[in-house]
Amino acid sequence: MTVDGLRRSPLGDLPETLGHGVRLREIPFLTQLNLRLAPGGGAAARVAEVLGAALPTEPNTVTDSGDLRLLWLGPDEWLIVGPDGAAPDTEGRIRTALPGEHACLVDVSANRTTLELSGPGARTVLEKGCALDLHPRAFTPGRCAQTLVSKVNVVLDQLDAEPRYRLLVRGSFARYLADWLLDAMSDTALIG
Amino acid sequence: MLLIACPWCGERDEVEFHYGGQAHVAYPSDPEALSDAEWAQYLFVRDNPKGPFAERWSHAAGCRRWFNVVRHTVTHEILAVHPAGRPKPVIA
Amino acid sequence: MSHELPEHPDWLWRTPDPKRAYDVVIVGAGGHGLATAYYLARDHGITDVAVLERGWLAGGNMARNTTIIRSNYLCDASAAIYEHALKLWETLPEELEYDFLFSQRGVLNLAHTLQDVREGIRRVHANRLGGIDAQWLDPDEVRAFCPIVNTSPEVRYPVLGATLQPRAGIAKHDHVAWALARKADAYGIDLIQGCEVTGFVRDGERVVGVETTRGRIGAGRVALAAAGHTSTLADLLGLRLPLQSHPLQALVSELLEPVHPTVVMSNHVHVYVSQAHKGELVMGAGIDSYNGYGQRGSFHQIEHQMAAALELFPIFARAHVLRTWGGIVDVTPDASPIIGSTPIENLYLNCGWGTGGFKATPASGRVYADTIATGTPHPLAAPFALERFTTGALIDEHGAAAVAH
Ligand SMILES: Cc1cc2nc3c(=O)[nH]c(=O)nc-3n(C[C@H](O)[C@H](O)[C@H](O)COP(=O)(O)OP(=O)(O)OC[C@H]3O[C@@H](n4cnc5c(N)ncnc54)[C@H](O)[C@@H]3O)c2cc1C
Ligand SMILES: [Zn+2]
Repeated sequence: MTVDGLRRSPLGDLPETLGHGVRLREIPFLTQLNLRLAPGGGAAARVAEVLGAALPTEPNTVTDSGDLRLLWLGPDEWLIVGPDGAAPDTEGRIRTALPGEHACLVDVSANRTTLELSGPGARTVLEKGCALDLHPRAFTPGRCAQTLVSKVNVVLDQLDAEPRYRLLVRGSFARYLADWLLDAMSDTALIG
Repeated sequence: MLLIACPWCGERDEVEFHYGGQAHVAYPSDPEALSDAEWAQYLFVRDNPKGPFAERWSHAAGCRRWFNVVRHTVTHEILAVHPAGRPKPVIA
Repeated sequence: MSHELPEHPDWLWRTPDPKRAYDVVIVGAGGHGLATAYYLARDHGITDVAVLERGWLAGGNMARNTTIIRSNYLCDASAAIYEHALKLWETLPEELEYDFLFSQRGVLNLAHTLQDVREGIRRVHANRLGGIDAQWLDPDEVRAFCPIVNTSPEVRYPVLGATLQPRAGIAKHDHVAWALARKADAYGIDLIQGCEVTGFVRDGERVVGVETTRGRIGAGRVALAAAGHTSTLADLLGLRLPLQSHPLQALVSELLEPVHPTVVMSNHVHVYVSQAHKGELVMGAGIDSYNGYGQRGSFHQIEHQMAAALELFPIFARAHVLRTWGGIVDVTPDASPIIGSTPIENLYLNCGWGTGGFKATPASGRVYADTIATGTPHPLAAPFALERFTTGALIDEHGAAAVAH
């Protein structure tokens, strides 16, 4: 049996759920690499080269490179999110940019699972438990944030204007957050 | 409810933050040289003003960075926000 | 509830103008200041005393607390002083000739985790060794004692047991203050409201009086009893104290039929609930993490506390929050009070009672009065001296039991 056969995602039994103009599903096993280094230095430049995109320096923004999303987590910290299975290759490529640098790269893929909330009603659902201003004037595709949704720490990443959001959440909180989202979605008064 | 402007993330709800007490309290450079009373002052005694107070906050549920805030302890008005490591701003 | 509210007495106290000087000036007419005045007169015959109050009598934390009275603390020094208070409470209504509705309906401290269970059982044993009534209840016994507590295993933090102190309970805080004030006044002590202390008069290392909004008042001894404002006063003398002032909130529901027979405290889900004599549910929670003098706290504390209350008491689901308020509590690093003398001659300190000083009111006043009158610490007060932060002999009640109020 391969390791793949033993993997369990925290929400493995969550069916894709459609609500009133909203869709919720789990995207299990995304690659997540936590990268820390000094912004604006040689290491940052070389990482940009190997990844084909610059690490964002504007707080709470995302840059894209093919399959990868580079999320700003802090002034010297990023989360590199990619598809399942991309970790070894991505990590290997980044490491070639780091020799001799004061930097830190950790595979944290098992830390969080990902919930995808999308559809015209997605923002309304999220706003029930999130204090951020998610209106397009303030929060658009290419923005991310670490914040609380119904008291749970999430990394929120807006992928497109539909809107489609990813909520990266720690495994042990995932069930609670999914239940909370399903409950919030069940409100028929949601505007479309 | 406080709205605290994280120097990195901008204004966020107070529940995202962790309080760290008085800012700009330096660890004694030579702890061995302190008397017990001086050590007690360092360890246990902090300012507790009724008015502007320079204090530390961490954006715990956000970018997890520590920074400093000058907040009025009666009105809760936030008078200044500055990154950790900078000197205390002068509040008129 | 079953208890009729007592008649309001027709005479409470005089409204004297301040004299030029007093033997003892007490700063703050909360419960502790008033009790100190009363015991100075009763135990020591010292009646040339003024209690100066910046606002109105007992309008600070004394008017804002949730009136829980208990003595089941873990540390010997705390258990001793709170038990002394509990014994005084038991005879005080008669002594003060004022029925302030002291009701020994018991206090439950719920345990929701293995750690809670161990802490609770340990505290029960420690209390019994110290001669304090204490029992350990299993969940069925909790339900029998207080049927409205949700003891189902289905909740997020099931009730795994509870400590019970049967002699603990509640009292009507305003009436306690008025009862003490009336007796102090009857001894000839001046209770002076609307008189804020704004400075101190010094003669070298000694304090010899206070500056107030009603002029200078000379004092043989100055006794601070200003709760959350103590460090602000001490700052005027250059005395830095290990105190931080935080908002602490409480709230009440509308008046309900009697449903809640006791006092339930849960440190883990963080709420405590009793039902006052008139019928309102009285609930409180934790302090705001940050310092504040605004006498109001943040809304998320209330929200958190309500969520906890509903989990423990599903029966309250339709009750309404009628009113919320906050007080300013003075918290020390070890969450125990400071009682005694200071490096400044003739200046005495009684502060740091934080979230839990109402229950101590009579004992606090009594040992403080004794310390002021004799110039040496009362044995029950001695462990609470300011010096403990230098010697390291902390009374780490917070670390030991982590139970507030
Ligand atoms: C919401 C809440 C719930 C609580 N619940 C409980 C509980 O269930 N059980 C319990 O045991 N304890 C409880 N406490 C704690 C308890 O209320 C306090 O520890 C206790 O009341 C403090 O002593 P006091 O009564 O003398 O304080 P206060 O009543 O605050 O008295 C201090 C007085 O000093 C006056 N003062 C301040 N500065 C000056 C000045 N410069 N000049 C003149 N006067 C001045 C103030 O106006 C005030 O009246 C609670 C407190 C709060 C806020
Ligand atoms: Zn931030």
